[in-house]
Amino acid sequence: MDPELILAAQGVRYRYPGASGDALGGVSLTARRGDLVAVLGPNGSGKTTLLRVALGALAPAAGSALVAGRPAAAWSRRELARLVGVVPQREETVFPQRVREAVLLGRYPHLSMFGAERPADHEAVNRALAQCDAGHLAGRWMATLSGGEYQRVRVARALAQEPRLLVLDEPTISLDLRHEMELFELVRGLVDRSALAVVLVTHHVNLAARFADRVLLLDGGRVAGEGAPAEVLTRETVERVFAWPVAIETYQGAPQMIPQRRRSDT
Amino acid sequence: MKWTGLIALAVLAFALAVLLGPAHVPAAELLRSPIVRDLRLPRAVLAFLVGGSLGVAGASLQALVRNPLADPYLLGLSGGASLGAVAAIALHVGGPWALPLAAFVGALAAMGLVYRLGLVGGAELDPRVLVLAGVAVGAFAAAVSTAIVSLSEATALRNAFLWLWGGLSGANWDTVLALCLYAPLPLAVLFAAARPLDLLALGEEPAGYLGVDVAVLKRWVYVAASLLTAAAVAVSGVIGFVGLIVPHIGRLLWGHRHRALLPVAFLGGGTLLSFADTAARVAVAPRELPVGIVTALVGVPVFALLLRRWTRN
Amino acid sequence: MACGRAEHRATGAGSLAVTDDAGRAVTLAAPARRIVSLAPSSTELLFAIGAGDRVVGRTTWCRYPAAALRVPVVGDGLNPNVEAVVAQHPDLVVLYASALNETAARQFERLGIPAVILRQDLLEDVARDARMLGRLTAHESGGDSVARAVLEVFEAPIRRRVAFVVWDNPPMVIGAGSFLDQQVALAGASNAFHDLGSASAAVSLETIAARDPDVVITIADSDDTRLPAFASAREWQVVRAVRERRVLTLPGALFGRPSPRAAAAVAELRRRLEALR
Repeated sequence: MDPELILAAQGVRYRYPGASGDALGGVSLTARRGDLVAVLGPNGSGKTTLLRVALGALAPAAGSALVAGRPAAAWSRRELARLVGVVPQREETVFPQRVREAVLLGRYPHLSMFGAERPADHEAVNRALAQCDAGHLAGRWMATLSGGEYQRVRVARALAQEPRLLVLDEPTISLDLRHEMELFELVRGLVDRSALAVVLVTHHVNLAARFADRVLLLDGGRVAGEGAPAEVLTRETVERVFAWPVAIETYQGAPQMIPQRRRSDT
Repeated sequence: MKWTGLIALAVLAFALAVLLGPAHVPAAELLRSPIVRDLRLPRAVLAFLVGGSLGVAGASLQALVRNPLADPYLLGLSGGASLGAVAAIALHVGGPWALPLAAFVGALAAMGLVYRLGLVGGAELDPRVLVLAGVAVGAFAAAVSTAIVSLSEATALRNAFLWLWGGLSGANWDTVLALCLYAPLPLAVLFAAARPLDLLALGEEPAGYLGVDVAVLKRWVYVAASLLTAAAVAVSGVIGFVGLIVPHIGRLLWGHRHRALLPVAFLGGGTLLSFADTAARVAVAPRELPVGIVTALVGVPVFALLLRRWTRN
Repeated sequence: MACGRAEHRATGAGSLAVTDDAGRAVTLAAPARRIVSLAPSSTELLFAIGAGDRVVGRTTWCRYPAAALRVPVVGDGLNPNVEAVVAQHPDLVVLYASALNETAARQFERLGIPAVILRQDLLEDVARDARMLGRLTAHESGGDSVARAVLEVFEAPIRRRVAFVVWDNPPMVIGAGSFLDQQVALAGASNAFHDLGSASAAVSLETIAARDPDVVITIADSDDTRLPAFASAREWQVVRAVRERRVLTLPGALFGRPSPRAAAAVAELRRRLEALR
């Protein structure tokens, strides 16, 4: 039992009720301390489903999903939240909140049922905000934040849980270039400085190739490749998975895919 | 500062409920008067318990279904209670506890039915399904009640609808004791759910990742809020508006965190109902208004005032 | 005293014109011989003035007097069954005042059947309607004698303040607008809530306690003379009359509505009040 292995989903198979085919067919995903794993693939390839199964929200039809050595489903939700901080793709914002309050919500797994927040909790919030370079936002209302600031605050909330694993599901979808880069730098920095394990689901193949240690490429619920970016992101593989001609060039040691234009017919 | 204001308001409401009334009780005799001891005092306490229960139930249900327009009667409870009461009257069930018990059982039956419907198709208490089921069950119960009434001759049934309109006339120390023994349990459950309800506002999946056992939370909150509402209806009929408006007033002044909002909803609901009941007894003395009308007349202007203040900020 | 709203003048040989309690002008070519009565009050009145043999249709609730039970039933009276009524070939339909019945009355008139609407809240209304029905059925003397009997009763004053409680939660009492208040006065007693103008009103329990009536009276649906349920409710013990069990239960058959038997009702009320010394 590898104590550094925080997430270990092996050969999971899952089919949504009423679906005609498997959403996942024999997929494995591991994450270790100090790892930044990027999960890539076209829409509908099963990335979010994989996260849900790996974290015990869905029960797989086959395979195992272990978190910190125990089956994901065996952890209570509270215990699991102390191990894994998740920044889901979608979140509702029903009521106005200040940034500090929003991040404080991440302390829930550490609080007792009726007890009040302790100084240690507020310190954890401050640390999380500092780690995300969002300390200056603490007093702002969430609704006044820019897209990038908002995502940083959500990451801070997940960090306030003091997890060993951070999972982000498509965190840069609506962000512009600068904020997208800032987020990737932030996540990379977290892995380097605090040896967090990070699983990052993204559709941005090129950034994933530059920032991630390992890449898991999914295609229709199956593994198309797993390993270092340079190993996985070959032209043949990428063209097959994304169904579009690409060229692969290397930039600073990382493969970058360049989609080709269609030849016009004469 | 806000808290002091609220507590002072609550104390004032209680004092007025005991001091004021259509019957003239000289100050010197206040402590000895049976009218004060056996009518006004239990009625004032009951107003606080019922109003508070409705406030907390309303706030909890609004968080559960993630809809600020939810009120405690959204889930068919009032329909079930009226059906129970009407059935009891039509069957000539006797005894002073007949109506409250029948209304309570009716409300619980509605709660169970809506809960069962909320699980249909693996929905696991999906808020939208709950709301629709509540409307359907409420409408069904109302239809059956009307059918019973139209087929019966007893003029008592005409007056049954007066009871359902809501009123604290039946307040006595026995009722107060019963509610004091009963209410703390569902109230404690809801107060314990305060933080998880904050998280639930983010959505069920995010709340789950933050450590909330969402399925368990929804069940507990649904049952506890329904039990509180059922008891309130059994004891005092359907008093509208308190459960809907008080949480909103609370949010305008205290924010959305339920650890503060739920106690505020309790005190605020009790205060509102207390003021409303005093007004109902005194405004057109010797006659008495149905308290549900007064809660609306009092609640709406207060809410509008606060809304203006809030939108200006 | 209610002003007499019924006018009767002959507008042609044998024809009768009246204005009913809803203000409608109704004309009959000749005294009615086949009458459908859609309210217990009018059924009883028709029999009381001697025109019972002319009643060819009643509602299920018309059970007084006993002779009425032999008359065929044409519905429950709440929403008149026009076809069933017409099947009896009536030349007059009598209804009680309600929105549905005003519509029904127009339907009957369109079919050529005269309809009168009666409204009886007070004893004077019973007297007036007795006279009106008397005219319409050529039983004027019967109508007049019933009218006199209803109004010419009174008893010597007795020191009793009463409160009629018709519902307990919220407490509803009878005020000056009701025939029950009149019967209390005719019985020589006083209504503690006579100052309320309407027939009934919701009041606070403490008001009843403060006004301290000597006797609390309720009306039972049936002939059940047991104490009402609220008499044992804890909060009602604050009312002295309830605490001391000075509670009368009057039979609904006699006291449920104003009727030609008002004299008997008043006498019964007086008897019971005296028995509660």
